[in-house]
Amino acid sequence: MIISLVRTTKYSFQNFWRNLWLSIITVFILMLTLFAVSMVASLNLLADQAIQAIEDKIDIDIFFKDTATEDDIISAQIYLEEIAEVKQVRYVSKDEALASFRESHEDDSDITEALDELSDNPLPASLVVQAEALTDYAFIVQQFETSEYDALVEDKDFSDHQVVINRLSGLLTRVYQGGLAVSAVFVVISIIMMFNTIRVGIYSHREELAIMKLVGATNLFIRGPFVLEGILYAMVASVCAMALLWVVVISSAPYVNDFFQGYNFSLDFFFYSNLWFIFAIQFLFSLVLAVGSSMISIGRYLKV
Amino acid sequence: MIRFERVTKIYDDNTHGARELSLQVRPGEFVSIVGQSGTGKTTLAKLIIAEEKPTKGKIVIGGWDITNIKQSEIPVLRRQVGMIFQDYKLLPKKTVYENIAYALEVCGVQQSKIDSIVPQVLRVVSLEDKRDNFPDQLSGGQKQRVAIGRSLVHRPKILLADEPTGNLDTINAQEIIDLLLKINQLGTTVLLVTHNKEVVNRLRKRVITIDDGVIVSDQLAGKYVL
Ligand SMILES: Nc1ncnc2c1ncn2[C@@H]1O[C@H](COP(=O)(O)OP(=O)(O)OP(=O)(O)O)[C@@H](O)[C@H]1O
Ligand SMILES: [Mg+2]
Repeated sequence: MIISLVRTTKYSFQNFWRNLWLSIITVFILMLTLFAVSMVASLNLLADQAIQAIEDKIDIDIFFKDTATEDDIISAQIYLEEIAEVKQVRYVSKDEALASFRESHEDDSDITEALDELSDNPLPASLVVQAEALTDYAFIVQQFETSEYDALVEDKDFSDHQVVINRLSGLLTRVYQGGLAVSAVFVVISIIMMFNTIRVGIYSHREELAIMKLVGATNLFIRGPFVLEGILYAMVASVCAMALLWVVVISSAPYVNDFFQGYNFSLDFFFYSNLWFIFAIQFLFSLVLAVGSSMISIGRYLKV
Repeated sequence: MIRFERVTKIYDDNTHGARELSLQVRPGEFVSIVGQSGTGKTTLAKLIIAEEKPTKGKIVIGGWDITNIKQSEIPVLRRQVGMIFQDYKLLPKKTVYENIAYALEVCGVQQSKIDSIVPQVLRVVSLEDKRDNFPDQLSGGQKQRVAIGRSLVHRPKILLADEPTGNLDTINAQEIIDLLLKINQLGTTVLLVTHNKEVVNRLRKRVITIDDGVIVSDQLAGKYVL
């Protein structure tokens, strides 16, 4: 048993080495398949993150009249928070509004001076509302407008955004679905290509397989080295694909991270913290692909 | 050692490889099988190593009825019957040494035993100096000697040679035949399928002539007659 295992290992390395050219091509195609699949997965991840980021960026500001008391506004906040589609509501008091306004116009002396001259705080208190999903905003506004609190409202900035929000969310869903369909096709194509490469490799071995059988080898003994060779292919290919992916991540991270500035997402950090997981997935995927295709292709030549 | 009882082989496309063929070969015999092309000589050899199954009849090898041999038992049979072919059937990506060792490795023989058997066999077929060459670096006669060496590692009781000299010139052919004779003298039953008239006539051993799947003549110390 052990001796067969040792021999199987020996044969598989010998095969790999003596058919080096074929091995390189197989590994290369396998690597491309992996890389294609990872790119598709990364793009999906990025699209997902982008949608989330945009959703986070969008909110509604509800500005209250100066006649509304803080208690009124707090109860309006509670009312909003009870709507299921609302993710969070933040209360910005008049003082806070003024402070952040000053902060963002620090360098503009005209504005700060003008503010200093005013005895009253001209800025309204507001509630900043975020919905669970882009499509929920219209409903939330509608709900709010039916409530008693609507009378306290000076202004809402939502209506200007509404059209954009609707369009954007529609576009994003369509891009996402389209991307998914294209990636599925792409993945299927590369899997077929991979299967075919292995099949051609086995085909070129068909006479050897027949000879092995004539010399009295069992099917298991013949298959063994091909299984190990498949593992070897998968190993080399997934390491190479990881290296390639790493290069892509490193070189695109600055741009991607720039896009997500202010959000809790960093491409390189994501890559590093999921390194082993990504590798394991790639290895398993290529293992199933390489070993599976060679076992299927070899079957028909072992019936001698 | 080999017994065919009214064996008929009909291929899928309805050609007859053997018709009601009966045959008996005793242990230690050297039998030449001759006949025109397409008469069923290779079919006979394939039936013996269970590469083909008989359509009708019964085949017994060394007391073992292989007529309905199980798929899993075929490797066991093939380790007891050595076989060599016109096209040598060597593994192209393995060296001479590895080709011969492979036949032992497939049945889990221990490395130390392989290390002692293979050099012995290489000596029998006089290829000690070519042990690390690949098949495409050898002459036809040398390749056939490797194939013979490989067929000997299990000390088979039967050696089947299907036109082993078909691709060789007279001198190389004679060398191979001499080798087969030597193996026969050591106690192995040899079945030689050949087209080579001189070889058969010089041998002066039993000759079976096959025509269209039937034995038409079977002579001790026979001649090549067609
Ligand atoms: N796998 C097969 N399928 C169908 N017919 C076959 C098959 N193998 C052999 N035959 C047919 O069986 C007959 C006998 O073939 P066989 O190979 O035994 O001839 P042979 O005597 O060895 O000929 P040769 O001297 O040319 O090698 C031929 O008519 C051949 O066409
Ligand atoms: Mg033939």
